[in-house]
Amino acid sequence: MEETKAIKVSNLGKRYTIGKQKNASLRSTLSNVFKSAAAKGDDFWAIRDINFEINRGDIVGIIGKNGAGKSTLLKVLSQITKPTTGRIEINGRVASLLEVGTGFHPELTGRENIYLNGTILGMTRKEVKEKFNDIVEFSGVKQFIDTPVKHYSSGMYVRLAFSVAAHLEPEILIIDEVLAVGDAEFQKKCIGKMSDVAAEGRTVLFVSHDMGAISSLCTKGFYLEKGTIIKEGPVDEVVEHYLNSSTKGTDLIKKYKEFAFNEWDEKVVLHNVKLINEQKEEILNATIDQTIGIQVEFEVLDSKGVYPIPNIHISNSLGGKLLVSIAPNASNQFSSKGKHFATAWIPKNFLNNNYFKIGVAITTFSPFQVHVSDYDAINFEVLDSDLNSNFRNGYVGKIDGLIRPDLYWEFENND
Amino acid sequence: MKLRMSKTTIIDAKKRKLFPSLSELKRYKDLFITLAWRDFRVRYAQTTIGFLWAFIQPIVTLIILSIVFTKFAKVDTGNIPHSIFTACGLITWTYFAFVMTNSGKSIIESQNMIKKIYFPRLIIPLSKALVGLIDMGVAVIILVALMIYHGVAPASTAWFSPLFILVGMIAALSVGIWLSALTIRFRDFQHIIPFMVQLGLFISPVAFPAEKVLDKAPEWAVSLYYLNPMAGVVQGFRWSLFGGEAPDNMMFISFGMILLLFVTSLMYFKRVEDEIADFV
Repeated sequence: MEETKAIKVSNLGKRYTIGKQKNASLRSTLSNVFKSAAAKGDDFWAIRDINFEINRGDIVGIIGKNGAGKSTLLKVLSQITKPTTGRIEINGRVASLLEVGTGFHPELTGRENIYLNGTILGMTRKEVKEKFNDIVEFSGVKQFIDTPVKHYSSGMYVRLAFSVAAHLEPEILIIDEVLAVGDAEFQKKCIGKMSDVAAEGRTVLFVSHDMGAISSLCTKGFYLEKGTIIKEGPVDEVVEHYLNSSTKGTDLIKKYKEFAFNEWDEKVVLHNVKLINEQKEEILNATIDQTIGIQVEFEVLDSKGVYPIPNIHISNSLGGKLLVSIAPNASNQFSSKGKHFATAWIPKNFLNNNYFKIGVAITTFSPFQVHVSDYDAINFEVLDSDLNSNFRNGYVGKIDGLIRPDLYWEFENND
Repeated sequence: MKLRMSKTTIIDAKKRKLFPSLSELKRYKDLFITLAWRDFRVRYAQTTIGFLWAFIQPIVTLIILSIVFTKFAKVDTGNIPHSIFTACGLITWTYFAFVMTNSGKSIIESQNMIKKIYFPRLIIPLSKALVGLIDMGVAVIILVALMIYHGVAPASTAWFSPLFILVGMIAALSVGIWLSALTIRFRDFQHIIPFMVQLGLFISPVAFPAEKVLDKAPEWAVSLYYLNPMAGVVQGFRWSLFGGEAPDNMMFISFGMILLLFVTSLMYFKRVEDEIADFV
């Protein structure tokens, strides 16, 4: 293999056997010994026919919907589970972070957990010792370093855990959405640390739902759907492809039909969520000066004692919540059995040029009970409509912020 | 910042190895030590008498066994007091029981870790063998104290005793590795292990001399008895310390069994290792 390749994957596949595997019991195995044609469960390929090469120094973002095979791909690349087919060549020392704080023990002190977690991540005790002060410094929990971590706040816990991970010095780093934890400031620190890692010429594989982080950190992108890579290339192209295909209404209809959402209480089911324009046509992305409707289609199956009220949750791509909107005066509106549509209208000139995530829930608020929820229903991008608009005053760069309402300005000139 | 020398990892779906890789285990030796140390640190956390528990358990077991086997069963332990006889048997037996129990459930207990990160999984049951040495040390202290109290000196063959300890460790690990791998797929073993420990204490010659029990038994029954890997270890260890009848060929049945268990445990573990994360 040439020196410039960090990872080379060919014909990679991972098959799970649904049903049979999980239920394997001593009895069934013993009885299967005497039955040549044992009842086989259904096969399910979590990933299949995956081929790619990653050059040294590439920062690759892996995107795709839930269940597309992202996590399985990472697990196979991290050697956590063995592939069913194919071959992987990895050139260099790998560290994979599928979680922060793996192996942390609540009874042990911060100091002891740094050693424990560090060695689990593949460092030697000597390496941990050398970096110990940096790790403590970065985490900002110096004061409590000899306190058992069970007394830590969750923020402190995460900070300490991430600090250990951040001080690994692998040539190849595999990360799974670990940034989705911690407060905003710490997230920023982490993203900074990751950019540093990238700048040092290391190779990074990064899985995330966060299109903002993906576009700002990565150079290349892989888009996974149903276990295969359907688009690969410069990160912006791949992100755009993802946004355009991820909001297709038909996909959601299928998702709600196929998925067994355990938390759903079977009184209300979701059928679809779509983004629409004023003409009630489905749209995938919107512009700033466009009124955007979020249409929720749901069905009440059992109306006894429930007053289902739809509510929408808008977050930025980092998962930070921007707003929640609950349908007003709707207690009796949807309490009858059958299909209902509810549309929330977001006024034009409200959302800024950015990536957003729409979550939907149907809730009875008194007594409080969530009937169904999908907090990751739609991802979309709001685009700048007109770079020549009046308020830009000739400026063409990005205007910061999550919202960009049309504020009323008053001028007074004293001459 | 300097990058380490690159190493190439190859994962191939078609290639399967028969045994775990020794060089890889060596690379993770710090993890092995850290895990053992964690177990030790956590074990007596937030108990008021802490490490004293490590003494109370074997002492109580010793007292119970002494009462049962001297007052009720009236076994004859020759020229050494029964308490010393049993304390000696408990050294290898408690280690075996500890390692078998703890490595047996170790993989299941570490499932969160296993699903999130790679390291040679064998490290987990192996680390229990290190933790068990602490309990063995405690048992040795108890024996030495009893020997001083009764004024019993070790026999000239005592130099052999580390050998029997080593064989006992391998025996404990073999069974532990087997059980840890089996428990992944068949949780039934979680419930079987406590029975094995209870039964083992009474069928292994811990509190009674095997030769007395097997005196009139036919040869095949004796061979069968020594298929219990701990029978040879417990008898041999006691012989090395206190003399008496030299162990006969029957002991090698136990040793052969241990070798067989050891080799097969590594092979079976390797076979299931790749799929552990899918099962637990």
